[in-house]
Amino acid sequence: MIKQQPRLLLFQLVVIASLLSAISLPDIIQNTVPFWMLIFFTYWLIHAETKAVYTFALLLGLLLDLIHGDVFGQNALALIGGSFFIQSVKKSFYVSNLSTQQVYVFVASVIYLFITISVHWIIQGFDFSLLLFLAPFTGAILWPIVSFFLGKLKR
Amino acid sequence: MRFFNPSIAALIAIILIVLDVRFSYLDSIKRNMTTLLSPIYFFVDLPTQMMNWISDKGSNIDQIINENEQLTNELFELKAKLQIYNNLVLENQKISNLIDASYALPENAFKLAHIKSIAQSRLKKQLVINKGRNDFVIKSQAVLGANGVVGQIIQSTPFYATVQLITDPTQYIPVKNVRNGARGITKGIASNEGNMRVKFMPLETDVKLGDIFVTSGIGGSYPEGYPVGEVTEVKTLNNEAFLFIKLKPLEDINALEIVLVVSEPQ
Repeated sequence: MIKQQPRLLLFQLVVIASLLSAISLPDIIQNTVPFWMLIFFTYWLIHAETKAVYTFALLLGLLLDLIHGDVFGQNALALIGGSFFIQSVKKSFYVSNLSTQQVYVFVASVIYLFITISVHWIIQGFDFSLLLFLAPFTGAILWPIVSFFLGKLKR
Repeated sequence: MRFFNPSIAALIAIILIVLDVRFSYLDSIKRNMTTLLSPIYFFVDLPTQMMNWISDKGSNIDQIINENEQLTNELFELKAKLQIYNNLVLENQKISNLIDASYALPENAFKLAHIKSIAQSRLKKQLVINKGRNDFVIKSQAVLGANGVVGQIIQSTPFYATVQLITDPTQYIPVKNVRNGARGITKGIASNEGNMRVKFMPLETDVKLGDIFVTSGIGGSYPEGYPVGEVTEVKTLNNEAFLFIKLKPLEDINALEIVLVVSEPQ
């Protein structure tokens, strides 16, 4: 656990996640890349002791909405949903092996995707690429690599 | 800082969604906050800018002379074509006057803008350009490419503007068939094919493969006469009152580097 400067780490993670989220890729790849903000926020959640989980989730989600031009609050709601799941399995997550962690990341990503798509569906109808459903898989697959590099950053 | 529990945070997010979708209270706040986030756009686009700069510096004088010669030739060709176009415009105006047309070709001012390498929402088809409010690029202006319509400005900050593409499922454009003037409305298709549908064209309408649709100018959001797309599929669906018409955009949006923002003359 991080006892000192957890907010500094969060700031670093947010900057990296924001930059990664804003990198332009071809449509097909763009739809399948992980939900970077959720993945990085998950890393911070399991390594930091904080009571402000949902406040930060709300703020970071809103930041993402602004960067991506999404409906204001859409990613915020999704990030709160994903964080709620991670928070509920936090103790288990911290001591689990990588495969189990990947399953947790996958479930959190599915919740994130479900909320995002539901909001979109209610507002605009069923108008989106089905490739989006691959994003939770890529998130889970890339988790060990992300976790490794963020571990270096944390030190 | 006040700490929210999950239900309060979720409730705030839902309220913000409703406010954003149903009302426009948040527009100015969003615009100001997006302006503050401009450095993120700058840093993300920096590698592309660097590559372009290195590429420019790497070009030798011979290459530049050759390019200059080629561009001069192209300029002559374009000038020749422009003369033909001017004649056509004059002819069109005469015919419009004769038939007392209810709309006319506006004289538009154009601003050149470069596309930035910045990702936008996965649920929307948007792109970011390097001109914003400082260059008088404002919301709802039309954006064109060399071959046709690209989209419409939906948000503008001092340095950047967001363009919603014509292939976005929420983007509707009034169009007409060049061959016979039949009118319809295009709507983007959500898949990655980057195609559009033309809606509200009755079953008896004469539409053929290869027909070109251009903006009709109705509604005033897009100037009249700019190419939108080519018909790639026409069929009748069971229990449908309208034709199913699939349109391929004339502008290859994935290959775009430069666009023109259309604004009425100041």
